[in-house]
Amino acid sequence: MGSRVEVLNDHGYRSDGRRQFELRDIGIDLSQQNFADGSAIISHGLTQVLVSVLGPREAKSRSQTIHDRANINVELNVAAFSTGERRRRSKNDKRILEMAAAIRSTFEPVIQTNLFPRSQIDIYVQVLQQDGGVLQTCINGTTLALINAGIPLNDFACAITCGAHSTSPLLDLSLLEENDLPHMTIAMLPKTGRVTLVTMETRLHVDRFEELLGLALEAGNVLHEEMKLAIDKRSRTLVAAMKITWPGVGEDLVEKDFDH
Amino acid sequence: MTQSSISLSKAEKSYIQAGLLCDPPHRTDGRPLKAYRQVELETGVAHLANGSARVSIGREGVNTGGGTEVVAATKLEVEDLDDGGIEGGRIICSVSCSPAAYPHLSSSALEDLQQDMSIVLHQILAHRTLHPTNLGIIRGKKSWLLHLDAIVLSDSGNAYDVMFMAARAALWDTKVPRTRSVEYRAPKGSKSAVESEGMDIDPTVSGFDTRQLSKATDFELPDYWDEGEILDGRERWPICVTLNLVPPVHYLDATLQEEAATHLRLLLAYSFPTSSTSTLQGVRLLGPGELSFEATKSLIRQGEKYALEVFTSLEAKLRDEDFRRYQKAQAKFSRTR
Repeated sequence: MGSRVEVLNDHGYRSDGRRQFELRDIGIDLSQQNFADGSAIISHGLTQVLVSVLGPREAKSRSQTIHDRANINVELNVAAFSTGERRRRSKNDKRILEMAAAIRSTFEPVIQTNLFPRSQIDIYVQVLQQDGGVLQTCINGTTLALINAGIPLNDFACAITCGAHSTSPLLDLSLLEENDLPHMTIAMLPKTGRVTLVTMETRLHVDRFEELLGLALEAGNVLHEEMKLAIDKRSRTLVAAMKITWPGVGEDLVEKDFDH
Repeated sequence: MTQSSISLSKAEKSYIQAGLLCDPPHRTDGRPLKAYRQVELETGVAHLANGSARVSIGREGVNTGGGTEVVAATKLEVEDLDDGGIEGGRIICSVSCSPAAYPHLSSSALEDLQQDMSIVLHQILAHRTLHPTNLGIIRGKKSWLLHLDAIVLSDSGNAYDVMFMAARAALWDTKVPRTRSVEYRAPKGSKSAVESEGMDIDPTVSGFDTRQLSKATDFELPDYWDEGEILDGRERWPICVTLNLVPPVHYLDATLQEEAATHLRLLLAYSFPTSSTSTLQGVRLLGPGELSFEATKSLIRQGEKYALEVFTSLEAKLRDEDFRRYQKAQAKFSRTR
């Protein structure tokens, strides 16, 4: 084996042993954190993000209220120890503001803000670990946290990073790959197949774009299934805790109560 | 600056205070005055850090929120003594608070709070009496800079104690990479080679000359099976106990509501270098109010007793975590091989 790490070797494996279109392990924890109305800890491989959603509630300052819909406020914090090299980013760091703006604009068409006029929805994102695909993880985590908070959405927003290694497209890039390859992050709405975010910081050949977009949409559907499963599981535990009947669950619990 | 992040009405405050002053005292969650809530601790939570820990207090079960939760992690950086480094390494501590932990604070108030907490943590932990001996790399040239970052993910009272526990656990968990110094040696046969034969041994000219600089110019990281050696003097890192004072009585581990109803708090940081001796590493009196000299003396004495209890159980848990992560992992590894 050569000393150079190959992005994609002759046998079709990537540096971390994945195939070309294989996604990293997804971990979703929807249990309640701090005082948030809804929260989610999501990890794509080694990238881990905690999202807390508060609201809809009264805005801290009157100037931020909008008379006919809710204002979405996104604050992003990156842990100083989350990267390989320690770097403390202040709250007003350009990159952080940009990411926060990207998350905000992704969710502006997704959240039914018109239902909550003159209120504010706060989305606090805390990046705990970074290993590529931070924006993607933030967006997926935010979708889950919003659902967990019971805020009406038009659809899920599922985000994925994709890149091209010469002519072969790759999905869900790790940090190593992100540094070497042209890549973009896409957020899609699985029900309608629409795209709410396309962002890229590197140059990508236009011939590759269509193929990548198609793949990303497919990957988005896979993520949607995963997220739906997690939401379903969480709802079932909540229902079981409340002892309400729901087709399939909870009935046995209620019956037991009658026996007493 | 107000110390509490929630606002309580006067009636609520006096209700809590009256409960504390009752005989027997009543607290909202039914605890005795000197009892802590349940503490949970896990080390090694951040893979990219040299040491890390997550500590929470008062979280009941997995699916319930609330409780105070702090994640702390250490990261080591190589630093040249020419630009800012100090012989033997240095430590910098900083604290950041998640806005989700303080949903009612404005961002500038949050920044102030962060600053306050950072200063307390830094002044107590970065003191020279606690400084580990193995943070130097090359005498006179390079040393390690240890960054300790703590994030308050949620606060339901007593954030300082939890923060110090997390900091202690993260420092306990820290591994310093092994280094080997490299020096230039002239090729054999030339005149200067005679003087520098041993790689690591400094040729001693005079026993009284303390200005000797090592000849090493750079260092390398030898490949070794573990991540390095443990940070020296990890038993010494202090424990903080916050005594919440409602004049005749004091109580421990206040909840957020109790904190808002208590005006005066005394932070005491104790270090236990050996199990029988203790040193007081820091004292802070927070909040408006005054404390008589006599009362302070007796509080410091009682604080030591509480701190020792916390120290003993934390120590046991940390050793347990070490066992879980290293011995058990090793046994598992050797089984599969």
